[in-house]
Amino acid sequence: MASIGIIANPASGKDIRRLVSYATTIDNNEKINICQRIVLAAQSLGVKEVFFMPDTFMIGCAVLDNLENDGVLKASISMLDFEIDASMQDTVTAAAMLEEKRVSCAIVLGGDGTSRAAAKRLQEVPMLSVSTGTNNVYPVLMEGTVAGVAAAVVASMEDPRACCIRDKRIEVYVNDTLRDIALVDAVVSDDFFAGARAIWDPDRIQRIVVTRCHPATIGFSAVAGAYTIVRDTDEYGYALRFGPGGARVIASIAAGVLTEMEIAEAQRLPLDEPYTFTADRRCMIALDGEREVPVAAGETVTLRVRRNGPWRVLPRRAIEEAQRRGMFRRS
Amino acid sequence: MEISNELMKDIYLQMRRIRDFEGTAAKLFADGEVPGFVHLYMGEEAIAPAVCACLRDDDFITSTHRGHGHIIAKGGDLNLMMAELLGRETGYCKGKGGSMHIADRDKGILGANGIVGAGHCISTGAGLSIKLRKTDQVCVCFFGDGSTNQGTFHEALNMASIWKLPIIFVCENNHYGISMSQARHQAIKDVSDRAAAYNMPGVSVDGNDPLAVYEAAFEAVARARAGKGPTLIECKTYRQHGHFEGDPATYKPKEEQAAWMEKDPLPRFAKFLEDNGVMTAKEIETVDAQVAQQIKDAIEFAKAQPIPSPESAVVDVYSDIVEEVRVR
Repeated sequence: MASIGIIANPASGKDIRRLVSYATTIDNNEKINICQRIVLAAQSLGVKEVFFMPDTFMIGCAVLDNLENDGVLKASISMLDFEIDASMQDTVTAAAMLEEKRVSCAIVLGGDGTSRAAAKRLQEVPMLSVSTGTNNVYPVLMEGTVAGVAAAVVASMEDPRACCIRDKRIEVYVNDTLRDIALVDAVVSDDFFAGARAIWDPDRIQRIVVTRCHPATIGFSAVAGAYTIVRDTDEYGYALRFGPGGARVIASIAAGVLTEMEIAEAQRLPLDEPYTFTADRRCMIALDGEREVPVAAGETVTLRVRRNGPWRVLPRRAIEEAQRRGMFRRS
Repeated sequence: MEISNELMKDIYLQMRRIRDFEGTAAKLFADGEVPGFVHLYMGEEAIAPAVCACLRDDDFITSTHRGHGHIIAKGGDLNLMMAELLGRETGYCKGKGGSMHIADRDKGILGANGIVGAGHCISTGAGLSIKLRKTDQVCVCFFGDGSTNQGTFHEALNMASIWKLPIIFVCENNHYGISMSQARHQAIKDVSDRAAAYNMPGVSVDGNDPLAVYEAAFEAVARARAGKGPTLIECKTYRQHGHFEGDPATYKPKEEQAAWMEKDPLPRFAKFLEDNGVMTAKEIETVDAQVAQQIKDAIEFAKAQPIPSPESAVVDVYSDIVEEVRVR
């Protein structure tokens, strides 16, 4: 039976970047709307079962209630059964359960941080990331209906990986111990506390490692993107160290905020090759835009780009393939 | 953002002062020494000290019925506060206002008050006054999640936005309006969502982490001083005690309480300071001991003060202006 999972992060799109930049706010009722459109589209193309991550705003329950009340629900909707932690851990737990259930596709609503959390556990199940966050390099800004169509198409395929890409990710080691991962960028800053979590102050950035970068994105990976373009298909990442003496670029580091930064060193990072440095002072590594890994002075940090991330659905390719196969034809 | 060690130490000091003051108030209330109600700030100590660390003496705050933390963080006098709680003549309100009406104009404290949502309007008035007087002061309006269902909240945010008033609306979302959980009293989870309706920035932060609160407050205060208008900051936190002392809070699930106690801001911040070499365990102990002594001194001071005379009950009922008009 074709099944999909939906992880909708109720906390995405609320952080301090609404204050220090001009970032979009997507309220949770709009997330319910998006999920409704996903479910309606997916069930119209054969999805029979939808699993939701439980959350404090009860997004999945609201979708179930609303669609039932409207008399338009055909698929079975159920909540994944675990106790809510009201933190990023819920996304990680839900992703692990969807992986265990081997659903056909996991749709993740949030920003880069939410996708990162889901990617910690999604290894075999294809992931479709829909943007409801802040700096969205990884998730795609797309209409919920289209996301539902893409998920249903993936669910109908014998080999959905033909419409996916196995993404790169960055593994973060401190003193040789794997501490965390990132999907897009790992940024080393002078901060030493997580605080409001988001990272936005260019004056405090020391280094950045990216799996991919492009000037047509926002966030600190855009700084690398202003210097060079690294695509998701390229078999390498890139590392920059900031400081005087090198190229000067201007890039969109946050919504509505373009900043100049000076690159002291830049290097291509072939897959699996370590990028290592010893912290000369306490610092913080932000992963996909959120301060996560504190590092003490003297500790050795190794960042390694590898192609062992999640299978990311390429929605346009999937839908085009479905069109070629006649999935949208009706006799 | 750079936050100096000295600033972090000061925030810890204020948090500890609030925690000990509230612990003492609870005990005094249980012993029958505090007339009237007290609503304690226990569990929410990360917010007011971090926000007030961004303010100057001439900036304003408005408070709530749960106001002790705000008053202490803005520089209120512990002796006068304790005297007021114990109903003494030399207290902040001459012993007649009690816990819910403490104000200190010299410190910019425009008053705690017992009316849910009243602070929204008072802060808007203060913000308008700042704008008319063309100063660079700001006003912080503290309030709870329950009050954001009051009309005053919406009127105040609307007016503050239209006139670009220098106000920072700080919602201390402790997830309960008296005994009603937030999930049952409003159809949103993040109060910050409401900012969009009034065209101002709205952010949610961990209200049990003073550094997260400070970062947001710092940016919002800078924005307000620069004439860019109001901000809504939602600090997610938890009230460790009942709505008022004496409320057994049986409506709060035990698992929920236990989960939030794990995030108790005081030990959490103390551990952070120690882990990051900002303060040693010994220094933290020293601060704790100093604060314990300050609270002890405040009780001693308060208990030595006279009880107001029965005749004073009819004094200060009307303002002087009204009295002058009546005489004329």
